[in-house]
Amino acid sequence: MISKPINKRLITSLFVICMMGITPVIGQNLMMDESESFWLWDFFGRLHPMIVHFPIALLIFGAVLELLSVRKFQSKFRPGISLLVIAGSLSAILSAIFGYQLANAEGTTGATLDLHQQIGIGTAILSFILLFLLYRVGKKPAENSRIIVFRSILFFTAIAVSVTGHFGGSLTHGEDFLTETFPWNQDENSIEKTPINLAVYQAELNPEREMKLIGEVRMVFAHNCYKCHSGAKIEGELRLDEKEFAFAGGENGEVIIPGNPRESELIRRINLRKGHKEVMPSKGELLSAQEKELLALWIEKGAPWPDDAPQQSIYRVAELAPRRPILPRSKSGLANPIDIWVDDYFAKNRLEWSEPVDDRTYLRRIYLDVIGLIPSPEELEEFYQDPRENKREIWLKSLLDRDGDYAVHWLTFWNDALRNDYTGTGYITNGRFNITDWLYKSLEVNKPYDQFVKELLNPTEKSKGFIEGIRWRGTVNASQRTEMQAAQNVGQVILGLNLKCASCHDSFISDWKLEESYAFANIFADSTLEISRCEQPIGKMADTRILWEELGDIDSAASRSEKLKQLAENLVQPSNGRMYRTIVNRIWKQMMGRGLVEPVDEMDNEPWSQDLLDWLATEFVDNGYDLKNLIYQIGTSKIYQAESISYNSPDLILADDYRFSGAVRKRLTAEQFSDAVSQLVYPLFKKEDLKYNPEELNPEKGAKLDYARASLVANNSFLTALGRPNREIVSTSRDSQASLLQALELTNGTVLDSALRSGAKIWKSNYETTEKLTEALYMKALNRKPLDKELAVAKATMGEVPEEEQIQDFIWAVLLLPEFQLIY
Amino acid sequence: MKKGFNRREFLKRTSGAAIATMAAGAPFASLLSSCESSGIKSTADSVILLFMAGGMAHTETFDPKKYTPFQKGMESKEVLSTFPGIPTSLDGINFSEGLESIAKIMDKGTLIRSYVAADLGHILHTRHQYHFHTCYEPPQSVVVPHLGSWISKEKGPLNPVIPSFINIGQRFTVGEGEELKAFHSAGFLGSEHGPFLIPDPTSGLESVRPPVGMSSMRFESRNKLYEDLISAGPMGEFGSDYQKESLKRSMEQAYILLNSPEAKAFDLSLEPEKSYDKYNTSKFGLGCLLAKRLVDQGARYITVTTEYEPFFGWDTHDNGHTRLKDMKKMIDSPIAQLISDLDESGRLDRTLVIVASEFSRDMLTEGRPGLKVKDQVNVPDIIEDMKNYGMHRHFTDGCSMLLFGGGIKRGHVFGKTADERPCKTIENPIKIDSIHQTIYHALGIAPDTNYEIERRPFYTTPDGHGKVEYGLLNENLKA
Repeated sequence: MISKPINKRLITSLFVICMMGITPVIGQNLMMDESESFWLWDFFGRLHPMIVHFPIALLIFGAVLELLSVRKFQSKFRPGISLLVIAGSLSAILSAIFGYQLANAEGTTGATLDLHQQIGIGTAILSFILLFLLYRVGKKPAENSRIIVFRSILFFTAIAVSVTGHFGGSLTHGEDFLTETFPWNQDENSIEKTPINLAVYQAELNPEREMKLIGEVRMVFAHNCYKCHSGAKIEGELRLDEKEFAFAGGENGEVIIPGNPRESELIRRINLRKGHKEVMPSKGELLSAQEKELLALWIEKGAPWPDDAPQQSIYRVAELAPRRPILPRSKSGLANPIDIWVDDYFAKNRLEWSEPVDDRTYLRRIYLDVIGLIPSPEELEEFYQDPRENKREIWLKSLLDRDGDYAVHWLTFWNDALRNDYTGTGYITNGRFNITDWLYKSLEVNKPYDQFVKELLNPTEKSKGFIEGIRWRGTVNASQRTEMQAAQNVGQVILGLNLKCASCHDSFISDWKLEESYAFANIFADSTLEISRCEQPIGKMADTRILWEELGDIDSAASRSEKLKQLAENLVQPSNGRMYRTIVNRIWKQMMGRGLVEPVDEMDNEPWSQDLLDWLATEFVDNGYDLKNLIYQIGTSKIYQAESISYNSPDLILADDYRFSGAVRKRLTAEQFSDAVSQLVYPLFKKEDLKYNPEELNPEKGAKLDYARASLVANNSFLTALGRPNREIVSTSRDSQASLLQALELTNGTVLDSALRSGAKIWKSNYETTEKLTEALYMKALNRKPLDKELAVAKATMGEVPEEEQIQDFIWAVLLLPEFQLIY
Repeated sequence: MKKGFNRREFLKRTSGAAIATMAAGAPFASLLSSCESSGIKSTADSVILLFMAGGMAHTETFDPKKYTPFQKGMESKEVLSTFPGIPTSLDGINFSEGLESIAKIMDKGTLIRSYVAADLGHILHTRHQYHFHTCYEPPQSVVVPHLGSWISKEKGPLNPVIPSFINIGQRFTVGEGEELKAFHSAGFLGSEHGPFLIPDPTSGLESVRPPVGMSSMRFESRNKLYEDLISAGPMGEFGSDYQKESLKRSMEQAYILLNSPEAKAFDLSLEPEKSYDKYNTSKFGLGCLLAKRLVDQGARYITVTTEYEPFFGWDTHDNGHTRLKDMKKMIDSPIAQLISDLDESGRLDRTLVIVASEFSRDMLTEGRPGLKVKDQVNVPDIIEDMKNYGMHRHFTDGCSMLLFGGGIKRGHVFGKTADERPCKTIENPIKIDSIHQTIYHALGIAPDTNYEIERRPFYTTPDGHGKVEYGLLNENLKA
């Protein structure tokens, strides 16, 4: 037992050192005056970064040795462990004291520091306890329970000291110091910085330029300085996130001397060389030359900071203006620019192209995506036989030319988005207006999208339903008045922006303010709206403004129709890159199963490829806002023609670290499924069910169907069960998963069941043998011949000649096969 | 203390995952929710809401005032109740004539006389019903879930083969059907928590058995065929994607449900005749019977409604007195029987039964005293005709509600209305958010339960408002 005497002597002597450390803390607290603290104590504080390494190393090493001797307490490591624990604990206590001293002396504050401090003090307390326990196990080595307690506290202290160390490291090296080395965090940091046009600010500054300038300056602050100099963490008492703090300066006085960049501490610090102990930012990359110039120029110009300059966001805010990325040179003979961008993306992300799909899969895809129907076996055969090299392009083009079928299919998507339906709340009290006729005709003629939006915003009698909203009888919450509904819906659908939060109070999910939402809503109002915050009027009338002033003004004194006209003209201008990114992203999602940006209504989120998104949007504008052309562009790309990607969970598709590798599988919508059943089996909906009949519009034009397509009938329990939304609110994506209620509807619901009964009769009369019937059904439903195995199952169930009931059951089973229900 | 993470930061930190799960149909429990388990000791496993759709006048049912018999030429302002009062099993508490059976069992539960409905302006029944069932006033910027959907989401089914939210008795083909659909929805909680609709209790069985005319043998072989075709097909090469898996899983569940012995609970013809007759006053009465049978098998949440159809049922715009005689006949025996049956089987202790309406009615006041809204019925000052004798206007300032079982006090009266017109609440007013929170509390669902929808937190009640009304709960259960 040699360890015992060492213990005592060591503990006493080290305790003395500890007390020396405590003295200044106590002393300082007792004095409580404003005067400068004694130099020695500041010096001790500065020792904190050095001394902290001891407890981390010693305690963890001690714990490791303890682990190695877990079988036998009195192992050969025991004396070593004791020494390590003593030295480790005492240094931990000392570190905590010095650290406390340092925090006081340097005046650092912030959330991470708080965590570091609290856990650090906790570790020091644990260390005290550990010393005591060590003393106890040393006394009576045999007692098992004491050993267990000692060991647990030792391990616990080792963990605590590691955690403290981690947060300490975060303070000195930055929160992402550790994680930024991970490969998946790499390219996030290398977002290309948009160049700043300094020349604009060299000249005389007018108020508008001042505002722009401070915007740029604050963007630099936000990206480079907020980490340590904002509300989250305030080092050196300096905050740069708000005007008054920035000019007040830090612990060493002002950092910005307006008009005098040479005297400004801020400018001096950012221009020091990397590694200099006073350089700013002290961690991470230095500012670019241009950013340095910008800050100097700003200060030289007198550091103008208008009071109404917007706060620079902690939220990601997407660029409003369009951007034309330069198409990279095609490497592998790719012609479609979409593929060149995808190839570029794949190369950067080290991803591989998946295999191209066969003709059958391709034809099925474009039929369902463009006109919502499954190709017939005859059409498929014709496609197979088509010798033309570019037959895929030709067929896609011809589908897009089927104006009526295209319009009927895309009506579903637009009805969801514009929350247009034949029935629903509001109609009962004349508080809602149907826009189907306008919408159908707009789709049929492929109305240019800018015109389409203009007619929605500055509507005719036929298209007014979208901005008129849904008005229930009675009094309605201020945040749901029809003008505010218009603001929210235009924001969501047209601009990919969520204003719902900011319609009631300043948003806490974005920088949008209540007054901005009201100013936008006011455009849709007959008379000026009074602002209400959380249903309480605040005694202030709303302005009249578009959300982005870059998009131009609205004359607040003008009539409603004049305001709407101005809004429409201003929003559709090509400089509104956001609007065109929003629509191309939506169409991309319809075709590829997932948007470049998700959710598609949150266009401030980061796209997986900014270049492709920007390119598609500007290309869309250049091509005359032509939606069919966009679909054609996507549909003829190699990536659209590549195999779809399988995911185990829907979460993966929307995860933060999503990497695009190809189209995501889609489920047939309620409408696609219904139309397929009507086509294959028996009409689910009759002509009498039609709520809108396009055939009446042009009796001579368009294919005549003997059933009513599902997008043209009123919502019903069958369609609801299959996912057609109740269009009370805007809805821009449907659930891709099946549910029990859905399965019940398909398993014992009367709608499908009665179609099967009637349809089986027809099938029976058309096909004499099981083999013929099975082949025909597989060709029509799945566009392929049955496998031998499948034919065997059919024969085993139905024999050589099928009965009517057997046919019903067989068709039912095929309709519910995942292969039928999915677009893959 | 220095500030830690504020709410905004929490939202920011969690938004990525939240958006992901939200868009996938499964909302994300936000970090604002206290915990997985609420730590509240539940006092109920099941809830049955017996809904008196159309506005049940408190003065004609559970809170009678001075009886003024019909006389030609009487002044309408004199009429407070058109029925005499009858005693109940509670001392000094009277009900209106025609509710004798419920009067006898009132000692088993709590009578609320002070439910105050919202002021939504010019009255539309379905708008108030929407508010009653979801706790949110329409319209809303998201589709808000029904009370039953929240319970389904938080508690799940009690018996895996009985749907956790069952709605009995309401057709949607009636007037205001679209408005009714708007709140019979799971909204953002995802369609799996939507209502299992049984518009007619006598045909409830049809929803849970193989299609009519299909033998169970054929049903089984059809299912086998389906499975065989899946395994014979080439779908395996498409990987194990979730769309495929979720379809297969749902089909399996449907098959199990449609084939389960519990499905017998839906078959009212299996009920002994004597018992059946006690409930058989109407579709509503049989709905109560179906609810009892389902709770016996482990149903989680059930609404049985007298069914809303404009100008029918409790929605009396004329002939109020005459109509109410029928309405009381329709509800009196089945409600009393349901409570007694549940009590006898011992299930009442863990089953919360609520009898409620979206608001009350009065002869004169439309809306609320002092906050009058647009009249919908012309009430003459002098009543000459029997058809004008009754409560024909919509009244929001004092409604009666009955609560039984599931931790609710026995033999208790909560709140009070004035004995003189306007007969409004004068003691312990209670609003819908408190009612909802009390129901959630009984089930052990935390008051701050919420999900992040479009990055905003949505609570069971707006902003989590409304306090649990402990005055309704057994003393020893107080938190």
